[in-house]
Amino acid sequence: MSTERITVAVDAMGGDNAPGEIVRGALDAVTELGVGVLLVGQENAIAPLLPDGRVPGIDIEHAGDVVAMDEDPAAAARRKKDSSLVRCAQAVREGRAQAMVGAGNTGATMAAALLRMGRVRGISRPAIAVPIPVPAGTRHQLLIDGGSTVDCTPEWLAQFARMGREYARTRLAVDEPTVGLLSNGEEPGKGDELRKRTFSLLEKVPGFHGNVEGRDLMHGTVDVVVTDGFTGNVVLKTLEGALRAAVELVFRVLDSTPEAKEAGKVVAPLLLDAAGAFDPDMTGGAVLLGVDGVCVISHGSSSARAIVNAVRVAQECVVTGVVGRLKEAIDAG
Amino acid sequence: MPAETHVAHGPIGPDEVYRILRERLAEILEIDEDRIKLESSFTADLDADSLALIELVEALEEELGERTVGFTIDDEDLGDLRTVQEAVDYVVARLGS
Repeated sequence: MSTERITVAVDAMGGDNAPGEIVRGALDAVTELGVGVLLVGQENAIAPLLPDGRVPGIDIEHAGDVVAMDEDPAAAARRKKDSSLVRCAQAVREGRAQAMVGAGNTGATMAAALLRMGRVRGISRPAIAVPIPVPAGTRHQLLIDGGSTVDCTPEWLAQFARMGREYARTRLAVDEPTVGLLSNGEEPGKGDELRKRTFSLLEKVPGFHGNVEGRDLMHGTVDVVVTDGFTGNVVLKTLEGALRAAVELVFRVLDSTPEAKEAGKVVAPLLLDAAGAFDPDMTGGAVLLGVDGVCVISHGSSSARAIVNAVRVAQECVVTGVVGRLKEAIDAG
Repeated sequence: MPAETHVAHGPIGPDEVYRILRERLAEILEIDEDRIKLESSFTADLDADSLALIELVEALEEELGERTVGFTIDDEDLGDLRTVQEAVDYVVARLGS
């Protein structure tokens, strides 16, 4: 990668907190990360949020249309060519940006990236690689797919496994990542037809550990957990909800007696600090693997901090050549 | 000749449309071209989902649009195209219209 400044196209209109939090995040990203940001969206909504209307390092590209969160993904990506989302992907395709970040409609982001950037040869469908914190471990796990491709074939899941392994090498610095297939039991015969047929394909994938269960997430049993996008998304939301409930329980206990309140004065700040690792805003975004460009998908309720961290992920992916390395690995079989 | 109907590289017949369609569809579905026949059903025989068909439409518009300016495929017509033959016939008709 040359020393030229990386430009990241950011969908200013995507997400529950757009454009305010997105623009604030873009401003902070330029300052903190030294990247250029191409803010794509309705200029009359973006410009008033910038100091004096203009900021060095930030360019605005006007897009007249917006893809709503509930729109049909493929149709929106095809029809709304003047949307901020499609224009972001187009900017990457045309080389005006080296990566894109979107916090809007996940399916439409996948479709726009696929249609505008193209696919990596050998990959039928993209998948979202989501880093999962492992409290007792030294590195994250990857869950793939986090929600990009809901209905999968066994062949696609095997492709996800190969992409996940290569991404774990690049981003988690694991030489020989291990792979597990998320199922309802560890034994090879467990699972529905999709899992059983996928299992036999994954046996040919280096590092395949076998089936893993939901309880293996966040415990580092394997480096890469493979599943379809429907299950993956349910798993992520379940983890989020369970963690929130666990935190609420702990703080209720720390508020339950005078002694607990005293202990809480010591413990609570430590717990809050530790809980930061599980804050989705700190992860920022997850990379869409399998498209011929860097696309980072941030969650719908992204704050400015989440956008900064998503841009950081995009920047790191460009610098480490994630897409090029993925292509080489897939070509090599 | 108006620019929007200008044909840059000569007329495109059914055989050429079939060749281009097979090539692009094989790339999209990651399958061998030999699996794609005129009588093949997109869904029943080739397992092409809606996203794959939209990829195909975009690829055809890009390639054929370079040769016949203004060539597009109506999204509303996509649901009626169940086989490769129907798609070839449709594209040929659009190119000639």
